[in-house]
Amino acid sequence: MSNQTNSLSKGLTVKDLVTTGIFTALVFVFVLIGGIFFAPNPVLTFFMPAGSGLLAGPVFLLMIAKVQKRWSLSIMGVVICIIWFVTGMHWAFALGYLIMAVVADFVAGAGQYKSKKLNSLAYILFSLGGTGSYIVFFADPNGWAQTMLGNGTEQSYIDTMQATANTGILIAMFAAAIITSAISAFVGCKMLKKQFEKAGITA
Amino acid sequence: MIELENVSFSYDGQEHDGLHDINLKIADGECVLFCGRSGCGKTTITRLVNGLIPQFYQGEFHGRVLVDGQEISNLPMYQIAAKVGSVFQNPRTQFFNVDTDSEIAFGIENEARPPRELAERVEQTTEDLHIRKLRSRNIFELSGGEKQKIAFASVYAMNPKIYLLDEPSSNLDMTSIQELKEHLRLIKSQGKTILIAEHRLYYLMELADRIVYLEKGKIKRVYTPEEFRRLPENEREYMGLRAVDLTEVLPPQKCLPVSAPILELQDVTLRYKKRTILHHIALSAAKGEVIGVVGHNGAGKTTFSRALCGLHKDCDGQFLWDGRPMDRKARLKKSYMVMQDVNYELFADSVEAECSFGIRNPDQKLVVETLEELGLASYRERHPNTLSGGQKQRVAVAVSMICGKNLLVFDEPTSGLDFDSMAQVAGLIRRLSDMGKVIFIVTHDFEFVCRTCSRVLHFDEGEMPDDVPVVMDALPKLRELFSVKVNVSEGDREGGLGHSDGRRGNL
Amino acid sequence: MSGERQKKGLWLDPRAKLFLILICVLASMFAPSLAYQFALVVLIAILGIFFGKWKYVIKAVCFYAVICVLTVWIMAEMTGTLRTMFIAFLGLFHKVYACGMLAGIVLSTTKVNEFLSAMNRVHAPKKLVIPLAVMLRYIPTIQEDWRYIKDAMRMRDVSPSLGGFLSHPGMTVECIYVPLMMTASKAADELSIASVTRGIENPNPRTCLVQIKCGIADWMIMAVAVAFLIFELCVRGGVIG
Repeated sequence: MSNQTNSLSKGLTVKDLVTTGIFTALVFVFVLIGGIFFAPNPVLTFFMPAGSGLLAGPVFLLMIAKVQKRWSLSIMGVVICIIWFVTGMHWAFALGYLIMAVVADFVAGAGQYKSKKLNSLAYILFSLGGTGSYIVFFADPNGWAQTMLGNGTEQSYIDTMQATANTGILIAMFAAAIITSAISAFVGCKMLKKQFEKAGITA
Repeated sequence: MIELENVSFSYDGQEHDGLHDINLKIADGECVLFCGRSGCGKTTITRLVNGLIPQFYQGEFHGRVLVDGQEISNLPMYQIAAKVGSVFQNPRTQFFNVDTDSEIAFGIENEARPPRELAERVEQTTEDLHIRKLRSRNIFELSGGEKQKIAFASVYAMNPKIYLLDEPSSNLDMTSIQELKEHLRLIKSQGKTILIAEHRLYYLMELADRIVYLEKGKIKRVYTPEEFRRLPENEREYMGLRAVDLTEVLPPQKCLPVSAPILELQDVTLRYKKRTILHHIALSAAKGEVIGVVGHNGAGKTTFSRALCGLHKDCDGQFLWDGRPMDRKARLKKSYMVMQDVNYELFADSVEAECSFGIRNPDQKLVVETLEELGLASYRERHPNTLSGGQKQRVAVAVSMICGKNLLVFDEPTSGLDFDSMAQVAGLIRRLSDMGKVIFIVTHDFEFVCRTCSRVLHFDEGEMPDDVPVVMDALPKLRELFSVKVNVSEGDREGGLGHSDGRRGNL
Repeated sequence: MSGERQKKGLWLDPRAKLFLILICVLASMFAPSLAYQFALVVLIAILGIFFGKWKYVIKAVCFYAVICVLTVWIMAEMTGTLRTMFIAFLGLFHKVYACGMLAGIVLSTTKVNEFLSAMNRVHAPKKLVIPLAVMLRYIPTIQEDWRYIKDAMRMRDVSPSLGGFLSHPGMTVECIYVPLMMTASKAADELSIASVTRGIENPNPRTCLVQIKCGIADWMIMAVAVAFLIFELCVRGGVIG
């Protein structure tokens, strides 16, 4: 067998995988806690992605700083997707996190996982994964309501859906999610600098 | 056969814990104990043998480490793992699974043994180590000692030739240490090679064939157990080593005169999740008293300390301070707990900031004075996380002093500390006691109790059957509480007769 | 996922359970009307009874019945934006409810090691199984850590609550994140050492102590689930086409 360098330079080592697992657990818990107040409320439900994005930023950024390798974020996406799926979340919600985690991986990768700006952007993108199920709703409001309304598609419903107010909600949802996750990423960057880099626990 | 040839190693960006020019041969079936002060390099030696150096820890490495003639640094980790099994210090972070069965099988699963063999091995391990009652349990419900047993079992199932143990007793109580000793006896009788790096020495005296004393990364001297036992106490303490024989550790002749009580507990009953943990506890303590708290796992030590600090809600009865009743909030204001894992209570980005964290108008002079007093002044700018365990503990104590807390609870303050640090903590506690603070110490450490405590509370089965002063007169009772067994005859020292026969055959 | 060993009732292969969840997602997606959605919930309830989860099942079905009645009422009575709002919310609710209910049964009857064994059996790569296993193992640890951190915060006069957060946001944030992430990062190191020294890097595929088997019960239940889905699709297709 070759010498030890193979475990250092290329690919994810066991340590990277374990780190990914542990920080995925933290991200998952924070996303859950952030979103849980919003989800079961008809008026606030659209702001669930915003709530979910508010807490996990520092964890997400520290994980990037500790691993600094491709696929770690994608693996996190797959794991979170599996957990959402198994806990019975809407499929588009689970899929949304998976897709956006892969996107985030490439965005952060563009800066070699070292650029704080790109890493923050990656987090914002990742947080938008939570909008998956709502996008499905806005894309096909008819299909969404069909189960409830039976077959008679109601003109009034279609009308309200097409009214500008609803595009407003869509925009508000995205804006809120972007703002909260940006705040979270900002706090995360600050903490990283103030605490974790000084404590010597980043890679 | 393990051979270390001219080995030197220094960690990247770290001065201590390195090794210089180590030469050592360890024969098959030998049990070697490595001891010395913290940072002397004893843990580093174990890491050289299990391949963590150079594969996991980077640094500058010279020399050769051979196991059975093969150079360790050329073998991939999983092949080393089949030969060399490692047990570590912290039982909380050693397990990979949520249930005990899978954890015991973890190593052999990695070896890709066929499923039937897995089941047989797990069964065999359960039999050999007497851990039937730990099977099919949720690991999160186990005590530290039980977790450590599972970690040992997982390595045992892999049946390696060499066992490495890195401070395995740090987080264990007396009973668990006794059981660990029996397990070591068992693997020794199977002819395994054992390497242990440890601070607590007394439980290994009958097992070790050679004792290697390290100082600043060099082998200072190699002792036989007989030579080691004959070391005079002051020389041993000068070497920074803990007691070799607990029966020689004695409490002071008489205790200090006690002034009028300031803290009083009247008829206190504690419940956790509707279950009564302790009932009808009555107790009083004077200023400057240092009170040890002992008991089995689950006897209510933690609940008691949390209630004392006002962190536990579900309790009846009265807590009086200076004759006035204190409610939960008042207790919270007055008390501070130094946790076993002190990392949970350090929040700030420097030692200095930590000391004034959360205080509205911090008294800078007091902060500086306190840091000076605890020998932390030169670390003011450092991040608390970069300090050693003992230093972190002192930071937490500094916080309690600055916040003006008068009731202190220490949870296992000496776990994993060498003699010097233990003596330092003892000195610190004495100083706090001189300041008139009331101090409770939850501990299993007999040596430490004899040095610091004025009395010991014993919790058992929901009651407090004993409140023993730490003086010579109470020695038999104290020994009973800390399961220190006096040697009646050489052969019958601890454990049953069956075991001691096996041991004699091996020595 | 509970640690209790199954004492009574049915045992299913975790792979079959995953398949059931998948079918359930599809069935919720294609349900032609509320009646079918309700039928799906009842089917899951029957499965739950096989597992011996009476209490859970009765509560879940009653709750769903109430929501269904409410939905019908809202659809009939409300108008305007509020109605749209409710349609969006209830739409998600109905799509997710059956899956969530099934997930509740699945999670409480599957041990973590069975689940991981299933992942091994479907030949999921190690790079996925390791983080997944670590994550499942670490979630209870976060709970433990949080308890200690709460205690430490109280002793420092920082309230670990929403009110405390609003009055001292900066401080509360540090109190929560710093110890949590410091311990997480320490745990990552120690846990990887503990797994590396027990040979996790072995390139051969791992074996598993827990052996899972797909039995007759699994196939039957999966068949029922598929049949229900096909029936739904037929109804839908028939009406639309």
